[in-house]
This record gives sequence, C-alpha cells and structure tokens, in this order.
Amino acid sequence: MQTIVTAGFGRRTLIKSGLALTALAAPPIISARGEVPVRIGMVDPLTGILSALAASEVEGAKYAVERINKKNGILGRQVELLVEDSANDVGTGVQKTRKLIERDKVDVIFGDVNSGIAYAMSQVTSELKVFHIVPGGHTDPITGTDCKWNVFRICNTTSMDAAAITSDLVKRFGKRFFFITPDYAYGHTLQDNFVKNLKALGGEYQAEMLPINTSDFSASLIKAKAYKPNVLLNNMGGLAQINCMKQFTQFGMQKEMHLGGALFELEVIKAVPADAQSGSWSMEWWWNQPNVPEAVAFVADFRKATGKTPSARHWFGLVAVESVRLGAEKAKTLEGPKLSLAMEGLELPPDVALQPGKVFYRAGDHELMANIFVGDVHPPKTNPDDVFTVTALVDGEKAAGSVESTGCKMVHPA
Amino acid sequence: MSTTTVTVTTAATAQPRPWLTTAIIWALLLTVPLWLPMLGGYTALAGRVLVLGLAAMSFNLLLGFTGVMSFGHAAYFGLGAYGAGLTLKYLTASTPLAIVAGVLLGGLAGTLFGPLIVRRRGVYFAMVTVAFGQIAFYVAYSWDSLTGGYDGLRGFSRAPLDLGFITVDITNNATTFYYFLLIVFGIATGLQALLLASPFGRTLVAIRENERRARFLGIPIERHIWMSFSISCAFTALAGALYALLNNFADPMGLHYSLSGEIVIMTVMGGMRAFWGPLVGAALFVVLQDYISSMTVNWMSFVGLIFVLVVLFFPRGLLGMLQKGTGK
Repeated sequence: MQTIVTAGFGRRTLIKSGLALTALAAPPIISARGEVPVRIGMVDPLTGILSALAASEVEGAKYAVERINKKNGILGRQVELLVEDSANDVGTGVQKTRKLIERDKVDVIFGDVNSGIAYAMSQVTSELKVFHIVPGGHTDPITGTDCKWNVFRICNTTSMDAAAITSDLVKRFGKRFFFITPDYAYGHTLQDNFVKNLKALGGEYQAEMLPINTSDFSASLIKAKAYKPNVLLNNMGGLAQINCMKQFTQFGMQKEMHLGGALFELEVIKAVPADAQSGSWSMEWWWNQPNVPEAVAFVADFRKATGKTPSARHWFGLVAVESVRLGAEKAKTLEGPKLSLAMEGLELPPDVALQPGKVFYRAGDHELMANIFVGDVHPPKTNPDDVFTVTALVDGEKAAGSVESTGCKMVHPA
Repeated sequence: MSTTTVTVTTAATAQPRPWLTTAIIWALLLTVPLWLPMLGGYTALAGRVLVLGLAAMSFNLLLGFTGVMSFGHAAYFGLGAYGAGLTLKYLTASTPLAIVAGVLLGGLAGTLFGPLIVRRRGVYFAMVTVAFGQIAFYVAYSWDSLTGGYDGLRGFSRAPLDLGFITVDITNNATTFYYFLLIVFGIATGLQALLLASPFGRTLVAIRENERRARFLGIPIERHIWMSFSISCAFTALAGALYALLNNFADPMGLHYSLSGEIVIMTVMGGMRAFWGPLVGAALFVVLQDYISSMTVNWMSFVGLIFVLVVLFFPRGLLGMLQKGTGK
C-alpha cells in the first residue's frame, strides 16, 4: 500500500486538486463593460516605519471611493480600490504593482509614501502605459529630473516645503539660522534648499550634520546656543526629530531662539509629548479652515464617517481618487496616455481642493500646485487635533519655482 | 566514533530520489507561464521566487553544506544589485556585463572579507557578518552621488540580449525575461550541484559534520570555509544582480540585515539539508507574502507562525519532510 504516490498525495487529495484546478481553469463569465468596475490599485507601506502615514492615505482614498460611488462612480462605473502593502521595500512594491496591473487589471495606480518605491513603481507603470499618481512621496526628482509622462504628484517636493517656510521664518524671527540635519540624501536636499532661499534673503547660517538615528543632541544644541541663531531648523525625521524637539525644550532653549522645520504632519505631532509640541513648520493641508465652507463640510462629514479628523495624508488619498474622476470625465477614457494629457493643467473644484485659491496640476512637471500652510505647532487647544495654527498660506507655484528649475523634460509617448 | 559514521551515511543518503525532486521542480519551473495565471499568480511573482530562491540556495552552500551561519548575506546580494545597476547606468548597456560586474563586486567583497572571519565560529561568525553587512548598508545609504542614497539607484534598465545572430527582448516581455532568469538560475544551480558532488563539496560536508575530525584528517578547515564563503557570496551576488534587473532598481534595503534574516528564514523553512529546500522555502515565503499581505497587514505573523511550526515539527524543513515521506 505504501507506494511513493500514496505517501505524498492520497487518491482523495488528487481528486480534490483536480476539481480545484478545473474550477480555476474554467473560462470566466464575461459581463458587459458598464458593469465592470473602475479598478484603482494602491501600493503603500502599510507595514514598516511609514505605516501611520500610509494608513491615512488609504483611509482618505477609501472615503473618496465611497463618496464617488454614491454619485454614479467614474464614467458611470463603480469604483473599486485594491490596496497592497509594499512593506517599505522596493522589490515588494514593484512586484505588487505588477500584480495589480497584470493580474488584477487595474486602470490606475497610486503610491508610494516612500519616494524610492514610488520611483521604481513609475518605471513599471510608464512601461505598461498605466496612469500613476504619487500621493505622498516627497523627493524632488519624481516631478523633476526623473519626471514621466504618466506620473502626477499631489504632495509637495522637498524644495517647495523648504522654500515656503524660509521666507516666513525670516520675516517673523530673523536671518540667522542653525541647522540640525540628517546626513543622507533627503537631509542634504532639504538643507541645500533652505540655504539657497536664506542666502537670497541675505541670511547667514551654521549647520550640523548628524547620523539619521541620533538620539542625543546635547553637543549640537550647545553649539547652537553659542551661535545664537534666530531660528534652529530641525531637519531630522521620525524619532530623531521628536528627540531633538524634546531636548530643545528640556534645555529651555525656546526662550533664546525659535524652533522650526520644513514639514510636519498631524500623525507625527500627535506622537510628540505636549511639552515638546512647538515651533514653526509647514503643513501640506490643514483641517482647520473656518473660512472655507467646503473644508468645514468635508471635515464634519469625514469625522462622521471615520471618527477621525482628516490629516494632509487623508486629503492626498481623497485628491488622488477625485483627480482620476475629474481626469476621466475630461478625457472620456481611462487609457493612460489620454488620461495624462487631460490631467495636465486640470484645476481642482472647491469640494476637492478644500482650500482657497487655484489648485491645479502644472502641465510642465505634473506637480499639484496647492497652498502650503505655514504656522505654529502648539499643545492641543479646543480639541486633541487642534495642535497647529496657520499663520500664512504660501502659493505652491511660487514655492516651486519655474518648470525649468525642476529639471523636468516631459516626453509623451508617440 | 560510530555515531559520526552513521550521521555521515544518513546525510549522504538523505535524498533517496534526488532525481525525482529535481524532475518535479524543473517541470514546474519550466511550465510556470502556463499554470501560474490559472492559480491567480503572475509571471513577475515567479521571477521573484527564482531570484530569492537562488539567493537562499547560495546562502545554503554555507549554512546547509558547510555548517557555518552567516547573518549578513544581504550585503553580497545588495552589492551584486549595485554592481549590475552601476554598470548599466555608467558603463555600458549590456545585461551580461552587468551580471558579471555584480557577481565580481559581491564575490570579491566576500573573498576579501572572508579571511577576517574564518576563525570565528557560531554566534561570533554570525555577528561579524552582520557588522560587515551594516557597513555595506551605510556606505550605500550615505554615498548619495554614486548610489542615490536612501532613494536608491535609478536611471538604468536591463538591455535586450544581443546573441550575435538574434536579439532577445527581455525588456518588455515578462515571459521572455522569466525564461532568461530561469536559464541563469539553471546554470547557477547546475554549478552548485557539481560543486557539491565534487571532492571539495564532500569535504565541506565533512567539515559540517565534524570539524575536529576533519582537521585531524589534515583538511585545511579555514581555507575551505573561506572558499565556501567566497563561492556562496559570488552566487548570492548573482542573485542580487538578477534582482536589480528584475526591478530595474537597486536600493540600500537590499543590503539590510532584515533581508539577511529573510534569506535565513527561507532556507530553514524549505530545508537546509536538501539541495532544493531553500527554493521551496523562498517560494513559500514569497507566495505567502504576496497573498496574505493583500488581506492583512499582519502577514509577517503568519510567516513567523509557519516558521516556528516548521522548526518545531519538521526540523528538516518542508522539502526535507516531503522527501523523508516519499523515500520510505
């Protein structure tokens, strides 16, 4: 009885496997095109250090999908959002992108929060001619030197964030800066942009480059004290950024100089202890805009639907889905090349832009030109999410500079 | 004395029908584009299995067949990827040359690093390999101008294969590229099998089984471990070079110790005493990651659970267990 075959695969197993294979191999029932949903594939790092930001983007996109489906979908078709975890790893991100396009036949791709993965994904999407939106990966080249015909970005570039806050800090506090910057690509780009803008305004600076995982900032903070700057720029990221803020407060330095930095996010501020919630920062979207009725209505509805206050990441997710709807309505199709052309120069309506002024995708580099919210971080006031007060709105297009200065040369497929 | 003899004999006959396993695996690999889509897969997934499988099999030359544990093999994998990527970006648009450059970069790094660690054993060996891996990681991370830093090395893509009489387009056709990967995988694993069947391979197994005894027999242990380490690194670098071609991208996470850990998990899960074990482990890991991560963000818990179960109940790994089952 104990033959080679029966030891590994029993008769029943063999029959069951055969049936399963037959069922899988059966031709699928083809339904009418109008019944086929519009499929959007979203690749984001749901696990790993960026997971909190990714989760918000996905939540924002899901909210928008529900909102659109209630209003007849995109081109009369319902929308389906397929979310995949890139695990903050390039190989996984690329593999998931191929899976979504080749197997799940998605019409559009979103992602990734990690700029490196977003770039690697864009190589796949442009090769397969699929329309691609990067909701929240900040590195400049995606809409700069490495720009692609099919890739649009919603969040700002690192340069835009730096440019927006520099003039505000100089105006309010003075021209003498001290930088604490992480010693890798992102930090260098950020500091270079700060320095460029600061020099243009006639300022001076000193800088300290530190390893990315620095936890003790005492030596650098003592140097900063000696330099007596008007503003201490904290360019660190993640936990290091929070540690730097905590030690700045512990040393009582807020009495001697002002604290500032390029980018802060609601998800991150909430992770900082109340006594360290301070300084001037820029946000890419902020929920508390009492003078914008559309934003007030959206925040109320979003809170009702999810129980949360929307962050900039939620807004990125919402704008991504709504942009596909607007672009598809203009192009009357979801084909990558036509959709891309329709998106160039597309202006977001007030219920999607959710902020004052003109918000549009610049044709030359496919970057969304939105306002940058500059202001002060503080401990919660009226509610737990009231931790930031906007002091100025900076025009995104001014902060971005010209298309030529980004280094983007857009080439559309023939 | 007698115990040792018995163990060696068992190890030598651990694969009663190796040709059967090999035949099944090759039949499956050759027909992937036919059956994988029917099971809800896609060709790029199979490409990833091949590449990570090759990395795990190369790592297993060291762990499974020499008995030395490295926790820093991602370093050579990543160096292979950067070697291939840098060649394509800065030197020449030739896929074979990129592969050769990747193998040389990773292989030479392993060969130069080897003499520093061959006298270490156990946890000390593992710790030093982790340290070297992290050095490579931070170099790639910090050297923006050459490697692209944290954002990764971009701006290169695999070039079509020019065979003189015909040009094979591996750039846009997923199936053609899969078969290209399969051919390279076949050559690499063929060489590994020849190596293990040679007197050198048997000597490595002897070192694994009883290092002291092998030393008394006059075998230069350190030199053999060094050679095994170098060869293993070169094959891992080959996998890394293929990975760069698969993604058209290389990034510092390809050098990170977390990937080294994943390679160890794949190898142990599949079976480190079986030649094809690591490939089975890599297939299981990649497929689990692909399917479960679409359903839950806690997919690593499932991989971890399976890993624990395999270690507890099937210490020979999945393939080791299957072969044991069919061998009787």
